[in-house]
Amino acid sequence: MQQARQPNYMEILKLDDDELRKRLAFYELTDEDFKRLNSLKSFADRWTHEITEGLYELIMGQPESREFFPDQATLARVKKMQNSYFLGLFSGTYDLNYVRDRLRVGMAHERIGMPPKLYLGAYRRYLALIHERLLDHFKDNVTEATRALESIRKVIFFDMALAIDTYIAAYLETMTRHQAAIRELSTPVIKVHDRILLLPIVGTVDTQRAHQIMETVLVQVVEEQAKVMILDIAGVPVVDTKVADHILKTTAAVQLLGGQTILTGISASVARTVVELGVEITRMHTRAKLSEGIELALSIVGKKIAPKTAHAGGEGA
Amino acid sequence: MAAGPIPILKIGATLLATIQIELHDTVVDSFQNDVLEQIEKTGARGLIIDISALETVDSYVARMLANTAKMAKLMGTNTVIVGMRPAVAATLVRMGYYMEGITTALSLEEGLKLQSNGSEPTDDERS
Amino acid sequence: MMSAPSQTETWTISIDKEADIVAVRQQARELAKELHFDQFAVAALTTAASELSRNVWVHAQRGVARIRILRNGNRVGVELEFVDHGPGIADLNRVLAGGFSTSRSLGLGLSGTKRLVDEFDIDTQPGRGTTIVIRKWKKEF
Repeated sequence: MQQARQPNYMEILKLDDDELRKRLAFYELTDEDFKRLNSLKSFADRWTHEITEGLYELIMGQPESREFFPDQATLARVKKMQNSYFLGLFSGTYDLNYVRDRLRVGMAHERIGMPPKLYLGAYRRYLALIHERLLDHFKDNVTEATRALESIRKVIFFDMALAIDTYIAAYLETMTRHQAAIRELSTPVIKVHDRILLLPIVGTVDTQRAHQIMETVLVQVVEEQAKVMILDIAGVPVVDTKVADHILKTTAAVQLLGGQTILTGISASVARTVVELGVEITRMHTRAKLSEGIELALSIVGKKIAPKTAHAGGEGA
Repeated sequence: MAAGPIPILKIGATLLATIQIELHDTVVDSFQNDVLEQIEKTGARGLIIDISALETVDSYVARMLANTAKMAKLMGTNTVIVGMRPAVAATLVRMGYYMEGITTALSLEEGLKLQSNGSEPTDDERS
Repeated sequence: MMSAPSQTETWTISIDKEADIVAVRQQARELAKELHFDQFAVAALTTAASELSRNVWVHAQRGVARIRILRNGNRVGVELEFVDHGPGIADLNRVLAGGFSTSRSLGLGLSGTKRLVDEFDIDTQPGRGTTIVIRKWKKEF
């Protein structure tokens, strides 16, 4: 099975020995439970196939869940996984490897898009199927059967918590990626010409955004070896001391890299504010209009925009 | 050319020093000595310090670079610092170090251009 | 501020020669990278570590740096603690408010370093020494 870069769910969920111990304690899983579960290994071996079949009978009975198992091959593979999962419940060893294994199962289900409601419903069916057969297995000893069922219930609930955790971890991962994408979109650095970059800043600039703008700008300047960075602030509604300071820092940083900044889109009110605030902007190129900034940028790199000469030959070179 | 931990090469009339190691007192001292010695020996008019391998530039290193440039200037040599990393530039300005008075360039190539364009970068190239 | 973070590993590095500054810096850098901080955060943390350990060495000639991983809920961070029994800082407020200077006087670079981290705690007494704790958290979203 191909695996793209897997996020480390153990890390995201902080599942270390400490956390494991706490969880086992809360689910009241003791050595006694482990021994009991381990002693039921033969029971598990005997019934795993039938229980898995019973489980998927329920799942496939739901039209919406059938789409997760589009063909026989997938279904067969999943049933096989389910069998080993079932047997794992009775392993008697519940350490971080066990946890990692359970997480992987949860991840596989989350990845195919199986919703928690189906997942949890399946666990419910699992318990019912196991209960039936346990009563049969211990038929002359209801006490033992109850104890066994209790141990199994504890470990199944423990597993369910892990399964739900993987869904949560997966959502967190997705949200993080979306946030990253949104941040990227909000800082679109455009290459206007060879070695000239432009960043139109639109919307309010808070500290976090300002940091992100500076970082994106600097990385792009180095990547593109840009001699000029044009920052257009026509779309920034409020330019106060803080914003001005952020812009200054970005300009200074670009200069440290060996590039220059041209600030454009300066409205009359921004010009007034900046001077009244006493912000030092003498070392920066500034222009009222973006077009003027582009012209200046071109001249800095030794180019200019010139009208096409109207020679015979017209279009083409 | 120089035997110290920081190699100094001669490219035309320019010296190129590439810093690729962690900087501390003894290294800095011998570096500065080497630079001045080389300027004297070769009569180089330009010095380029390549810091593209430096992941961290704190106030000590920033001061060191500025001082080296000042020393070189006293001997008639102009310094250009090249290859500063984005994270280094961001950290310096966030701390409040704007390294005024130091000339920087995007790359070794740009730095050499600056040096060959004349002893001082023109107003056009330095804002 | 924050409730006591649950602590895991701690690295302790004694600072009594200039080369130790490099050791502290390298440990901080490695840790930040291992925890997948972005390049800007790595640089900020490493530079702060460098500044503060240099302060210890320059002003107190000896001290200790302790580096810890912090975990709080979903968040992960790095904490650096610098302890020395040097001269302490007399006019703390002025030092923290000011910009930087090129001389070697006391408490330099502190205001600059403060801006590189999320949390900055300083406990200093003239004649008794200084303890500085800084924390930087990894950007989650």
